[in-house]
This record gives sequence, structure tokens and C-alpha cells, in this order.
Amino acid sequence: MYTLAVLVRALSLCCLVLLPGCIEPYMPEAISSTQSYLVVNGFINSQGSTSINLSRTYDIAAKTPPPIETGATLALEEEGGTRYPLRESTIKGTYTSANLALNSGKQYHLLIRTADGKEYASDYVPVKTTPAIDNINWQASEADLAIYVNTHDDTNTTQYYRWQYEETWESRPVLAPNIEYLNGEIQPLRTFYPLVCWQSDKSTPILVSNTVALQQDVVSQFLLRSFPNTTNRLRHKYSILVRQHALTREEYQYWALLKKNTENIGTLFDPLPAQLTGNVHCLNDESALALGYVSAHSVQEKRLFISRNELPNWWPLQSGYEDCVPPDTVENFPPDLAQRFSSRLFLPVNTVFDPKNGLISGYTYTVLDCIDCRKRGTDVRPSFWQ
Amino acid sequence: MKHLYSWFVFLLFLLASLTSNGQQAEKTISGNFSHVPFEQFASQLEAQTKLRFYFNPAAVDSLFITLQAQDVPVRTALERALQNTPFHFAIDDENRVFVTAGVTLEPSLPDSFFRSEREGNLANNARTTEKAPASAPGRSRYVREAEAKLYEIGSGSVRGGKVTLAGHIRELKSGEPVIGATIYSEAPSVGTSTDQFGYYSLTVPAGRYDLKIRGIGIKNTRRQVILQGDGKLEIEVEEDITPLKEVVIEAEKDKNVSGMQMGLEKLDIKTLRQVPTAFGETDILRVVLTLPGVKSVGEGSTGLNVRGGATDQNLILFNGTTIYNPSHLFGFFSAFNPDILQSVELYKSAIPAKYGGRLSSVLEIKTREGNKKKFSGSGGIGPLTSRITFEGPIIKDKSAFIISARTSYSDWILHRLSNNSFRQSAASFYDISANISHQLNEKNSLYLTGYLSADRFRLASDTTYQYRNQTASLKWQHNFNNKLYSVLTGAYSHYAYDITSEKNPVNASRLKYGIKQTSLQADFSYFPSSKHTVDFGVSSLVYNISPGSLTPNGENSLIAPDILAREQAVESAIYASDRIDFTQRLSLSLGLRYSLFNALGPRDVYQYTPGVSRTETSIMDTVRYGSGKVLATYHGPEYRMSLRYGLTDNSSVKASYNRTRQYIHQLSNTASVSPADIWKLSDANIRPQVGDQYSIGYYHNFRANTIEASVETYYKSLHDFVDYKSGATLILNHHIETDIVNAQGKAYGVEVLVKKLTGKINGWVSYTYSRSLVRVNAGTPADRINGGRYYPSNFDKPHDFTLIGNYRFSRRFSSSLNFTYSTGRPITLPLAKYYIANSLRVYYSDRNAYRVPDYYRADLALNIEGNHKVKKLAHSSWTLGVYNLTGRQNPYSVYFKSENGQIRGYKLSIFGRPIPTLTYNFKF
Repeated sequence: MYTLAVLVRALSLCCLVLLPGCIEPYMPEAISSTQSYLVVNGFINSQGSTSINLSRTYDIAAKTPPPIETGATLALEEEGGTRYPLRESTIKGTYTSANLALNSGKQYHLLIRTADGKEYASDYVPVKTTPAIDNINWQASEADLAIYVNTHDDTNTTQYYRWQYEETWESRPVLAPNIEYLNGEIQPLRTFYPLVCWQSDKSTPILVSNTVALQQDVVSQFLLRSFPNTTNRLRHKYSILVRQHALTREEYQYWALLKKNTENIGTLFDPLPAQLTGNVHCLNDESALALGYVSAHSVQEKRLFISRNELPNWWPLQSGYEDCVPPDTVENFPPDLAQRFSSRLFLPVNTVFDPKNGLISGYTYTVLDCIDCRKRGTDVRPSFWQ
Repeated sequence: MKHLYSWFVFLLFLLASLTSNGQQAEKTISGNFSHVPFEQFASQLEAQTKLRFYFNPAAVDSLFITLQAQDVPVRTALERALQNTPFHFAIDDENRVFVTAGVTLEPSLPDSFFRSEREGNLANNARTTEKAPASAPGRSRYVREAEAKLYEIGSGSVRGGKVTLAGHIRELKSGEPVIGATIYSEAPSVGTSTDQFGYYSLTVPAGRYDLKIRGIGIKNTRRQVILQGDGKLEIEVEEDITPLKEVVIEAEKDKNVSGMQMGLEKLDIKTLRQVPTAFGETDILRVVLTLPGVKSVGEGSTGLNVRGGATDQNLILFNGTTIYNPSHLFGFFSAFNPDILQSVELYKSAIPAKYGGRLSSVLEIKTREGNKKKFSGSGGIGPLTSRITFEGPIIKDKSAFIISARTSYSDWILHRLSNNSFRQSAASFYDISANISHQLNEKNSLYLTGYLSADRFRLASDTTYQYRNQTASLKWQHNFNNKLYSVLTGAYSHYAYDITSEKNPVNASRLKYGIKQTSLQADFSYFPSSKHTVDFGVSSLVYNISPGSLTPNGENSLIAPDILAREQAVESAIYASDRIDFTQRLSLSLGLRYSLFNALGPRDVYQYTPGVSRTETSIMDTVRYGSGKVLATYHGPEYRMSLRYGLTDNSSVKASYNRTRQYIHQLSNTASVSPADIWKLSDANIRPQVGDQYSIGYYHNFRANTIEASVETYYKSLHDFVDYKSGATLILNHHIETDIVNAQGKAYGVEVLVKKLTGKINGWVSYTYSRSLVRVNAGTPADRINGGRYYPSNFDKPHDFTLIGNYRFSRRFSSSLNFTYSTGRPITLPLAKYYIANSLRVYYSDRNAYRVPDYYRADLALNIEGNHKVKKLAHSSWTLGVYNLTGRQNPYSVYFKSENGQIRGYKLSIFGRPIPTLTYNFKF
């Protein structure tokens, strides 16, 4: 259960203390995928709209985003009965259903027909009802901050849990320009850049837990997220929305194995990686694999805010704009200005005056990312923001 | 001083030969002999002269004389008659002619040579002394005298029959038995070697013998005996105290060619000491890993893979007790203190019938018995560990003790680190071994051994991790007579681990596992004649396993106690083997072991729907077995056969076949052996493993047995060893059989080994080509791995080259160099990536379809000895070593990880830099 984690830590300890071992980036030659398999990402939401994303596997060394699978026909099917269609939304490759309330006594599965005529189906799964999140809390120690989740199920039937989260935080650029380069000369800025934006990010690690070994179905202080005391996410205000999913045992095993295969790896005591596909199968072509696990359950969510003033005031929290200061300076010499600013790669920030004669000696400048926080997030205040 | 002595010896010889020449010169003989048997020739000479011939009829039965002589002096005639034969003659002043093979007797002695006899141990004391001391200078007087003496053994009632000579070979100073020493006569060629008690038994025709004694760490010596009846000869030999002089296996000088055993690697402590290791500490498992046919998945692992076998297929015996986890610190150290060790033997094929229970090999580790004459000690200080050993007599010459202890100070280092979580961590280990031997009387001896090794880790203050081995054994050796002796062994082994977690009071828990093994074994050795060596015996072993328990730790813990039912079983075996020496060239060893395994209740056994993949849903029924009820029985014969045919004096061919059965399985789905691995007994749902190995080899010694060469090839098939379904849960699994699949394996290879045993430059070079393949084809398609095809095992490294070289600059200064190259181990790599749950993930290839880059490493060590004055308070030595001299970053594994939504490829190497170490050793 937790022995693996223990071993991993033990090993890192051994390595650091006793062994001058090392871990280096490495990409072996000549790994290329021969076939591209369908990837099914999503679950059947028993209380709401179901959203399924289809994409394809692709070459390990590729730098591009994953190829999306567009033009497919999808539907949910109740065991021996009703079908509910999913339509491709404006985001290509994403298919959504209407708001549904599924019968928790029935089993459901997902049917897919891709544009190339291949038909896929997931295995029938029962509907699990997710218990509410009891609370999300955070604890700050000297060096870091950790966010925990607590939940329980009085009926002792959930037992397997998965969490995903979405973080949002305020981002404030440290440079605020008041000039711009327009028509070959420096002019006062007409439209000011936003002073605050909201950046957001989704959880990437697989977060699963089970309570099988416990007498009660209680999840206590499960660690969701931790930050070092320098993180820029906590500099102003931070919020985390946690979504809780109840899993069947089979789905839990799928996620746990996927985690072992792709996250808990790289020690002496590695479990051997395994070929893992999921519960989606191609019906009319045996060689066409599908990856992903489609389950059916409801979702519970809860949001938590953390403000700067709740944290130890000596924490050296970063702004995220450390690379932007101090800005470079260009001399007030028209050919230089033209060379610097005509490409619009660099933008002027402020005027620099010569302290001796009070004349304009030059201008500080930077890149757009340092002054326009919309490059990193949105300046539209989220509706939930307090 | 040395020179003076040599001159003295030389003068003695000269004087002796001059006197005999003078007396015999005038006698002459005449006659025509054409291919006349020597006996006839001798009797004719006796008729012509006053000479009386003395020789061994058996030795000269193939000697024929062709000679034409007319009034030729006797001496000249004999010289001509015996030239180009291995025979020599000597004539004493009483007109006696001694004809001997190989060596010339010097029948005269200086007067000073007759002195009082001090052979208290002899059953039949010697009467005559003959030869002048020809041994090397610097020998003790006792040994010189013993070598010069002619021991008459037996009451003289020889009726042309066979007699048996038996006794012990012991070290003169400490009284410790010398194990594996060879005692042999060259003409006629008979010989044997001492067993673990230093006991030997030699059955030969009555007559006179020049017995040579060779052994590890002892000086070569000889005894001259006239055997007239059964008798005893206790032999005391000198320790070779300059440990840098001889390196490897002096005892087995020609054993490579003449010995019956194949696939046996024997290492003595001196060889072990010379091989440089990562932490400066002599490590037997690391040295065993340099031997041909032995591999491991990587540097951090002490799990041995012998000829394609899994890591659980090695029987590791420490003075007769089974050791389940032979490593410390997650496998970076082996759990045996080098100071107490005597020797290590690894049987890779032709496993003697005496051993059973594991498929691939037997690694027998023997400790010393302790100094029976005086109190002494030794120790060492290394970068991570220190060790100390004490030994001495309890009753002088009768009983001795040896106790050694070793501990790490990694805890101390951890607490000095700046990182806070390291400071809250702990990592420590220790081991203690003790041995007491007592000779009750001439026929009975007792040996008591105890062993304890323990490891403890605490990681960032929330989880404590402990494991320990505890073993004890008592051996009673009883000699019925010279031809039959027995050893009765009672042994107990216990291995357990314990993981406690405390950080979160709700989840605080304690996970435990334990295995106990109690055994009783009786082994008999019977030497009916010089042609037969018979071993037979019975053994019985009781296993008691606590397969796992998870219990709450603390009042607030919500952990539900989860305790797996105990497993019990009895494994019994009976065996007999006979080694038959048909002729000097041809010998055959036939052995049969029959083993019987009973898994015992109380236990609930699940029955599964046949033909369907075993899962929880395919459980049909649960059968409850009461306490002591047999729930599964497996039994079968294990054949052990080997054959040797000597092609010439320097070369031979050997072949062997053996079958082995194994009833206990190690469950591990990690590449490397981890201390949290568990052992599981065969039961109604898990069949025993069966292995067959065929091997054949050619052995050749060059340059008077100083260079040994061998080529061995083998083919092995393994049945029903355990492999795992993807994502198997091995800990606290109530129905482990649903996660296990039966795998079949095959392994084959060629091992080429060249050893140079003596001289300033010595060591060995080996090359191995071997494959080790696995197939999981049973059950339903879902259970099959790689579609049911053969795939390379985790430790399949086809090419392997190892050089262990030692160069001795002087008696006090020597160096060792290791070089190892091998093919990289197989790994499973991703074929493609995909995006799921907000992150890129990888899809893996077939299992073990790729390999990490090739491995090579060079190590260097320098040994500096203190001076070799025998009378000194303490002898000390320094070992300076550099492990991984070139600093090559040998990849242990290559892996891909999803980090912050992206895939990253990494290469992990364990010892990625040169590691210098310095160790101080002392002995007093």
C-alpha cells in the first residue's frame, strides 16, 4: 500500500546520503509509435452534463499538442435502453451531452463511432454517487504550505476516491508602462494594461486514495497539493476548486496503475511498467486499441481561498515576474529606438531622465509577457472571486 | 639466515648420496631383460646380489623393464632400467633398494634427526623416520619433523586388502579445521578432500604412500605413511600468514580438471578481500556477482540471478541455516561480516543431492570455528561501517568460540546533514555472528552457530522501517568409524519486517510480515572403498509464515486490523548419492533426492472456476481445512547426476544433469529485490517450481596447474515459477493467486573462465554468453504477457566480460583491478504518449522489449600490509580503493515520468562518479 512510497523515499535518501548516483535527462533513440490509438478522456456524469474529449496517441518525441479526434459520433447508453447523444462542441474533439440525471440503479456505457468508421464501446459500469467533501484545509509549516481534503461516507460504500482540482490565483505584473512606441516615436500610453489578472491551472498528478483498510469510510487529511514558501501562486490571493469523484474498485485500480506507470517510477524498486489500456474496446477491429477509462458517477466540489495576509509575513513569495526586473534601457536615439521597437517584440516601459540636465536620456523596455498579464491569464474577474 | 639453512640442507643431501655411492659402487649384475615385469626383474637382481628390493606392487604393476647388461654396476643398471619412467630408486647401507614413484627417497639421515616423538594425537604412532627435511625454509620444526617422519599405521595384518585412513587436518596454531584441503598421493593416484569439519577419509590398498596436503591458506605439506591396517592420522598444518602471497584456491589446484564437481565456484576469504567494493568493505555477494553465470539487475541489488534463475531460487546457507534476506541497507551491503567467514561455495549446476529446496543454486557460506589455541581478535574501520571479531579457546584444543559484530554509522552521518528531513531520518544496521565448537571426544563434536542481522530506517520522521534475520543452528558430528560418519543438524531461521507509520494519527498503522523455518537434518557419509563415496540422509523442514498483518498504531487510528491467515507446511526429503570412481579417468556420481511437501491447515482455500482467469469473481467455493489437515501435497524425484572423464592428466570433460524442486516463492514485482518482498508457500492454488539443468564442460590446466581454463555450457528449463499480472497487489492480498501467473523459463549459455592462480600477477578472466527468457502463456489471453511469447527476463544480459586481476609488487604492497562489461539490462519503454486527466501519459511497449545502454566499470584497490613479523602486537593493513574508476554513469534504468503534465525521459545511474574508500584492518 504505502510501502512503495516508503521505498521511493528510502531510495532517494540512500541516493542522496550514500551514493553519488545521478539522474539525468535522457531520450533513447529509435522509439517511434507504429500506430495511433484512440484516447478517451472523461467520465459519464450522472448528475449533469457529460463531457468527453477524444484524441490520439502520438510520437513520444513530438513537441506538438496531442492530435484531436474530430467528427466522431458519441452516445451514452443505458443498459438495455435509452441512448443520450453527445455533440461535438465548439472546442473540436470535445463532445458534450445535455444535462442529465441518470438512474443510479442502472448501468451505462459510452459508444463511439469515429470518422474512419471504427466503432468503440466502453464496458458497462454502475453509477456511483460521490459523497460531499467535508472540508478542504491548508497548513503552513516553515518551508511549505500543504492543502488537504477530508471526506467520509456514512454508508461505507464509496471507499475509492479520486480528486482533481483547478487553481486560480491573482497575478500582478511588476512593471506598468506609461508610454508606447507608435508611428516611429515614443508617445504616452493610450490604453493601460490591466494591473491584475487571474491565472489558472488544472491538476496534473493522479490523486487517488482508498479506505479499504479502515474500519470506517473516512479520508483524513489527504494531501492534494503543496507549495514551497516561495511560490508566486500565493503572493496575492489563491483559490483552489477541488472536485471529488467516487470510483469503482476497477477504476481505482486503473488510476493507481496509471500513476505507478507514469509517476511513481525511476527508483531501484520500480514496479515493472505494464501495458495499460482501460475499459474501452474497439468493436470492429481487434488491432485498434483504445486508451482510457469511462466510468459513471456524480461529482462533488468545494472551493478554498488563501490570502497573502493569512500566511507568515516573512515568506519570500515571488511575483512570477522575477525575470522582468530590472528592465533594460535603450538610448534616446531614434535609429536605436526604431531598431528596438519596430518589431514589437520589445515594448517601452518608462522614460529615463539624465540626472545632470533633466533631459530624456533613454527608455526602459521589456517584453510583452512582463507587462501584459493577459499573456498568462485573464483580466476578467472570475465570477467566484471574492 | 635463509641461505645458511638452504646450504645446510643441500650439504646433507650431498653427504648422503656420496656415502651410498661409495658403498654400492663395486657390485655388478648381468642379464638380458626384454619387457620383463618389474617384480621379475627385481627378483633376478636379488638372486644375483645381496640386494633386497622394496616397492609397492600396485605401483609398479605397469612397469616393464627392457635392459641388456654385462657386468654393469647395480646403480648404473638401475639407472638405465628406470630412466624415462616416473620411478626412482635409492639404496641404503643395508643393501635395501627402495623403488618409488615420483620422488627419490634419501635413505640416510644425519644423527641429529632422531628425536623424541611428540605425536600425541596419533592412534598409531610412527616408528621410523626416513627422509631429510626438504621443505621450504621458515617452517616450524614440528612440521619439518612430521614431514620427515614415516608413520606406520595399522597392526600389520594386511591381506592384500584395502585399508582406511582417516583423521582431521587442522591448523597448527589455532587448531581450527582446514576445510576443503586436499590430501592425495600421486602414485598411485588417490585422494580426497576434507569436509566442513576438516575431516577426511581415504580408502586405499595397503602399502606405502607419500601423502600431499594442499589447502586454502595453509602451507603445502606432506606425510609419509605405511598403511597396514585401518588407522587415524591427525595432520596439523601451518597457516600461510602472508595473505598476499597466494590468491585463489590453492586447494583446488588440479580440481578444475580432476574434481568431479562442475559448476562450482569456491572463494576463500583472501580472494574476497582483494576485490574492491563501493564502500570499502569486503562484500561476499559482490564478489560472487563477478563470477561467470551470476548476474543481477543492477548495482544496487544483491539479488543473485544464477544461470537465468530468479533471485528467490538461490539457497543461501550460513553454517546450515537459511538466510532469507542477505543484505543490508536496501541491498547495498551484504549482511555477512567478512571477518568470521571461512569460505563461500556457489553451486551453479550438478547440485549435490544433499541440498534441495531451491531451483538454481546453492550458496554455502561457512564461518571459521575460532582459534583453539589462543585468544585473538581482528577488526576494521571503513567509511560507513566498523567491525570487530574475537576468538579464542574455551578449553584449549577442544573447544573454541568466535564472535563478530559489525555496525554502521550512517545514522551519525545523517544527523549531520543540513536538510531538515534527513536530520529527522535514521538509517542503521548491524549484524552479529557467533560460533562455538566443542570436541566432546574423538568421535563426537558439537558446533553451535548464531546469527542476527537487523536494519532500521526512519524516513522523514513518519515511517519506521525495520527488518531482521535471526538464525541458529546446532550440529553434532559423530564418527561411527573411519568409513562412516554422520552430521545431525538442527536449524532455525526467522526473517521478519515491520513498517510503522505515525504521522497521520487516523492512518497510523503497523505492517508486519514474518517467516519461521525450523529444520532437522541427518547427513551420512560412507566410504566403503576407494571407488565409492556414498552420501545419504533425511531432512525435514517446517515453515510457519505470517503472510502479513496491518494493525492500527495508536488510539486514534481508524485502521481496521487486517491479518492474513498463517501458512504452515512441512517439506521433507530423503536422498542418497554414490560417487563411483571406475578408473582414474572415469567417475560417475549418481544421486537421487525425493522431496515431499505438505501444506497444512488451518486455512480457508478458495476454489476457482476452471478455464477462467482467476479473479475474485471466479471464486466458486471456499473449503475450510482444520488445524494440521493437509490441504495440498506435492512430491517428486530430483535427479542429480554427473560424470567426469579425464582426457589427459591436464584435461577432462564433465557432464551433469540435475532436477530441482522449490516449494517457496518470493513475491516481488519490482525489478530489484526489496526488503518488503514476501515469501509465499506453495498451496492448493500455487504449484511448486521445477527446474532441469543439463550442462557439459571442458576443463584444461596449463603450466603445472597454475592456469586453469574451463568452458561450460548449459541449458536450463524452469517451470511454474511465479510472475505477476499487470498491477498485481502483493501485500495483504487475501487471494494472492488471482494476481499471480505461472511462468515458464528457459536459459542457456556458455561460460569461459581462465584463472591464473599463483605468481605476481594472478586473477581471472571470464566471458559469458547467456540468455534468459520467460513465457507466460497459461490461462486466459488477458493473463498472458507479450501475447504468450518468450521475452527476455529482467536480468537477461547476453554478453558479460569480467576481469579480476591482482598484481603483487612486494609482500607488503599489492594492487587489484576489476573490469566488468555487460550488455544493458532489458527494460520496457513507452511507444507513444497521450493526453489524459490533464497530463501527458505514456503507453508502454511489450515487456522488456528494449535495453539500457551497455554497462562497464573499472575498480582499483591498493592493499598495504604492515610488516610480517610473526611476533607483533597487532598486524594491520590498509586498503585504499576506488570504485568506478572512470566515473562512467552506467544507467541502471531509463524511465519516463509525467511531470507537470509533460513527459520527461530520465536515466538513473547509481554510482555515477568514482568512489574512493579507505579501510583500516587489524588483527591481534
